[in-house]
Amino acid sequence: MRDTYLWLLQLVTGSLIIVFLAVHMVMMHLDNIVGFFGGHIDEPSFWSSMIDRATKGWWLTFYISFLALVLYHALYGLRGIVLEVTPSGRTERVVTGMIWAVGLGAFALGVYAPVHLFTR
Amino acid sequence: MRAGSPRENYLGVRGWVWAGRYDLERYLYTLHRITGLGLVLYLFMHLTVMAIVRGILGEGAYEDVIDFFEHSVFKVGEYVVFAAFIYHGLNGLRLIFQELGFLLGKPKPPIYPFRDSLRRRRPLALGMMGFVVVMAAFVLTDFAKGGP
Amino acid sequence: MDTVMQIRFKVQRYNPENGAAPRMDEFVVPAPRGMTVLDGLFYIRDNLDSTLAVRSSCRMAICGSCAMLINNFPHLACHTQIAELKAGTIEVRPLPNFPIIKDLVVDLTPLFEKHKAVKPYLIRSDVEEMEDPTAEFLQTPEELDAYLQFSYCIKCGLCLAACPTVATDTPFLGPQALAQCYRYCGDSRDDGAKERFPTVDREHGLWGCHFAGACSEACPKGLDPALAIQLLKRLRVSRALGLGRKRRPTPVASPPTTRQPKLPVPEFTVEVGANPPEK
Repeated sequence: MRDTYLWLLQLVTGSLIIVFLAVHMVMMHLDNIVGFFGGHIDEPSFWSSMIDRATKGWWLTFYISFLALVLYHALYGLRGIVLEVTPSGRTERVVTGMIWAVGLGAFALGVYAPVHLFTR
Repeated sequence: MRAGSPRENYLGVRGWVWAGRYDLERYLYTLHRITGLGLVLYLFMHLTVMAIVRGILGEGAYEDVIDFFEHSVFKVGEYVVFAAFIYHGLNGLRLIFQELGFLLGKPKPPIYPFRDSLRRRRPLALGMMGFVVVMAAFVLTDFAKGGP
Repeated sequence: MDTVMQIRFKVQRYNPENGAAPRMDEFVVPAPRGMTVLDGLFYIRDNLDSTLAVRSSCRMAICGSCAMLINNFPHLACHTQIAELKAGTIEVRPLPNFPIIKDLVVDLTPLFEKHKAVKPYLIRSDVEEMEDPTAEFLQTPEELDAYLQFSYCIKCGLCLAACPTVATDTPFLGPQALAQCYRYCGDSRDDGAKERFPTVDREHGLWGCHFAGACSEACPKGLDPALAIQLLKRLRVSRALGLGRKRRPTPVASPPTTRQPKLPVPEFTVEVGANPPEK
C-alpha cells in the first residue's frame, strides 16, 4: 500500500518540478523570456540579486518547496535503481534508510543558506 | 543426475543499455535513466556548491566561484544539464500518462502481425522527441548568444 | 527448384559437467526455403553434433519450450524462419536472464515460481461454487475483451529475457507474472484483486516496471504484457485512492425460468420385431 503512495508521489513531484524547474531555468538562463513578461532582473547570479531573492518570503518559500520536491523525486528514483542492483531482503531497509539520511541531510544543507541569509 | 549446477545468465546492468536489437521505446527508457542519474549528480554538486559557498563562505568566495564557472566548458555542461532536464521532463510527462494506463489504447485481440500498444502509440513518442529537439534548439540559441 | 542456402550456425555450448566457460560452436546447415531455426538445430543434432541440448516440443509456437536468443533478439526457434532473419550467419544463444542448464536449455523455474506467486486462478468468495460448480459465470463480450488479449500467454519466458529490470533484479516478478495478475484482476468473474495486491504492490513487483516495452516487443503471441502492467498500475492506484466504481464479480448464471416445450417424439416407422434377422 505504501509503495503505491510513494510511486504516486513520484508522479506528483515530477509534474510539479517541470513547472518549478522551468521557472528556475528561465530566471537563471533565459532573460529574453523574463523580459517578454515585462520583468527585469539584474544578472540573477550576482550576489545582490541572490540576497534580494533570499529576503523575499515568496522566493524563499519557492526555493524551499522546490528543494523538497526535487530531493524526493531524485532520491526515490535513485532508490529504485539501487534496489534493482542490490540483493533483496535486509538490504532493502538499509538502502531506504541511507536514502532517507542523504535526503534529510541535503535538505538541511540546502535550507540553511537561504534561511541564514533571510534571518541575517 | 546433473553434475554441475546451472550457470547464472543474467545480463546485469549492461542489460539496461543494450540487450539485443530492440525498438525505440526501450532506448527512451535507457535515456530517461541516464538523464535521471546525470541530473541527480548535477543536483548534488549544485546543492553542495551553493550551500557551502553561499551559506558558509560568504560573498567573496561566492563571486569567485561564479566567475570560475563562467568558463565555456561549464557553460557547455550547463546546456547539457538543461537538455537532460528537457528530455527527462517531457518523457516523464509521457510516462505519467501512459503508466497510469491513459494514452495507450484498449486491449485488442492479437491478430498477426502484432502491433503492441507502444508501437501503436509511436507517433506520440516521436512527437514528444520532436518537441524535445525544438525546445533544446531554442535553449541552445539562448546559450550560444552568450547567455548570463 | 528452390536454392538451398548454406547457413552458418554459431551455437553457444556449455556443459556444466566439465566446468569450462561457454563457447561458440560453428556448423554449416543446408537451409531450404521455409526451414526454421529449430529445424536447423535438429539438423545439427541429427547429422553434425548429437551432444547438442535443445528443448522443444510442439514446433508450432504454442508450447513455448524453444525460447532462445537468435541473432540478438529473443525468439521462439520453431516460429523463426531462417530466411526471415536475412543473415548468412545465425547466432543462437540460450535465453538470457535464466540460469543455463546445458547448451541452449535454461532453467525456467524462476518464471514458474513468479507466476505461481500472483495466484493465477479465479478467486471468488463463493467457495462452494468454485469447488463444485453448478452453472457457468455470466460475462458480456465487452467484459471478455477487457482481458482476452492477456489470456493467450504460453509461458515461454521471452518477455523476462527482454525486460531490462529482470536483467539485474532477481526478485522482480517480471512482465509475465504481472500481466497474468492483470489477466485475473481484470476478469469480471474474479474477486481476488485484494489477495494479489500484496504480492505485486512492491518495488520488486509493479513499481519495478519502468515501461521500456521490450516485453511486448518480444512476445510471440502478441500479448502486450506492457499494456497489462500499466492497466494493473491504474487498477492499483484507483483502488488505493478509492476512485472508480468498484464492480462486483459477475454472478453465476441462473437456471432458465422458461422451459422449452418438449418436442414430440416422432412415431416409430418400423415395427419392432417386424423383420427378424436371417438365421
